[in-house]
Order: sequence, then structure tokens, then C-alpha cells
Amino acid sequence: MRKLFIIAALLAATGAQAETPRDFLTRFEKEAGGAASAERGARFFNTKQGGEWSCASCHTDKPTQAGRHAKTDKPIAALAPVANAERFTDAAKVDKWFRRNCNDTVNRLCSAQEKADVMAWLLTLK
Amino acid sequence: MNAQQSTVLAPADAGTDGKPVRVWDLPTRIFHWSLATSFVVAFVTSDSEKLRDIHVLAGYGMAALIAFRILWGFVGGGHSRFADFLPTPAKVIGYLKSLLAGKPQHYVGHNPAGAVAIFLLLGFGITAAASGYATYNEFGGHFMEEVHEAAANGMMAMVVIHLAGVVVSSWLHGENLVKAMITGRKDIRNENPAG
Repeated sequence: MRKLFIIAALLAATGAQAETPRDFLTRFEKEAGGAASAERGARFFNTKQGGEWSCASCHTDKPTQAGRHAKTDKPIAALAPVANAERFTDAAKVDKWFRRNCNDTVNRLCSAQEKADVMAWLLTLK
Repeated sequence: MNAQQSTVLAPADAGTDGKPVRVWDLPTRIFHWSLATSFVVAFVTSDSEKLRDIHVLAGYGMAALIAFRILWGFVGGGHSRFADFLPTPAKVIGYLKSLLAGKPQHYVGHNPAGAVAIFLLLGFGITAAASGYATYNEFGGHFMEEVHEAAANGMMAMVVIHLAGVVVSSWLHGENLVKAMITGRKDIRNENPAG
């Protein structure tokens, strides 16, 4: 089992492995040490968390549709995996954009629990 | 001082021990500090969507400044000209050897190692601006994002080397290089002149 973790970690580190959105849910739940809640994720995503913006400010509260950049007004491709197969398939991208966008919305890095919750919610969208 | 080295010295630079010499012209100095400012602004706003307008503005500023500097490298005067500090391999090796020997050749303008860093910095700067423009206008995709980040990190590496060079060089030659980039003048003591 431990060996498996090490292999998985190595694969994740090299970024050679294409991931699926569900892999990220699993990873964040593991990091958080608890189950994700889609309901909590929806609330987190759609309401401001102390900052000027919520996730929905750019991604809208229906992330199966395209969003719009709150500052530059440029279109943003749909975030939900069901609507956009490219989303959540590359660990480097996922980590980079959680880092950037959490800084803009919650003024800090998101916790693993918050990321797990958001992933869970995004995966419930049809 | 051997004959070959002394010919490299411009007449205005030679034989002026302890006297201030004009080294950096005003456009070069304004360029230098403006580029430094725009780079810092672009770097600290790089991880934020909220500050993206400022980041893009700093990038345009940097591109314009570099365009000016390239022009100035051909039409400017004295030590600002690229021809004045074009780093040939022989010059770079000679300089690095003198540095290792603890007797660094003294260049009034840019030393050859610094010149390499400057051309790399300009190259990274052009790459960062072009790939940033591409990313902002959504062509080139994820690859352009990677190029942009690599170029920006390359610039940062050059800046770190540059700052270290300024400290070491100021100490080795007993001159205040930061002041020189503000006032444009250096107090030259030609202890080991090379150019």
C-alpha cells in the first residue's frame, strides 16, 4: 500500500500521468482526512468568503456554462467536468489555478477540505 | 596597464584617477530604473486575477522600455551602445579568469559577464512580453503560459545575478555602482583597466 502511494506521488510529481476529475476529489479528501460535501462546496463556491469575489464571480453559479472574467470581461470556458472534458485532467494546472484563484477570492490558500467540497459539487453538476 | 588594454579605454575615461567620469547617460538611467520598476510590479501582480490589469500594463511598459533600449543600443552614446559591451567569448573568459584570480579587470561600462546577463535579460524580457501578450489574447494556449512563466523566472534569475554582481563589483573595485546608476558618474581609480 505504501509503495502504491509512493508510485502515485511520483507519477503526480512528474505530471506525466493524465488525471481524471475524480482523482482530484480522492486526493483532496485524502489530504483533508474526511469526506467531501457537495452541499458545502456549492455554498463555498457561490458566496463570498470575506473577499471581494466568490468563485461564481467569474465562473457563474452555473459552472456548466462559460463564465466571464470579473476584471477583464474575457470569456472563461466552463469549469464543470461534464461540460468541459479538459478540466481537472492535469495536476500542475489544477494546483496552479487553485492557488491563484483562492488568493483572489479567500485571500489565502484553500484548505484541502474546501477543495474537496468544491470538487464534489462540480462533479454533481449535470 | 598593457598597450592593448589601454587602447580600449576611451580618452575621456583614461587617466582620471579619482575624478568623476560620466558613464551612464540620462536615457539609460531612466530606462534602467523604469525597467526595474515595471519588472517588480509585473512580478508581484503575477499571481492575481484581480491585479491582472496592472500586470498587463506593467508588461506593456516593459516591452516599450526594452524596444527603446534596443534602439538606444545602436544610436545612444558611449557605454550605452551595444558595441561598447558586446561580450565576445574571449572577453568573457578573460574577465572570469581575472575574477577567479582575485584581480578582476576593471571595466568603466558593463563588464563582459554583466553584458551576457544584460543580453539574456533583454531576451527573456522580449519573450515574457510576447508570450504574455499571446496568453492575454488567448492564442498559444497552455504552452504560451509555460513560456511566459519560464521567461519571467529567467528574468528574475538575471536580476538576482545582477544584484549580486553589483554588490561584489562595488566591493571589489571600491565604487558605488548604485550611485553611478543614479548620478550617471563613477569615480574611476584605474587599478586594472580593461575597458
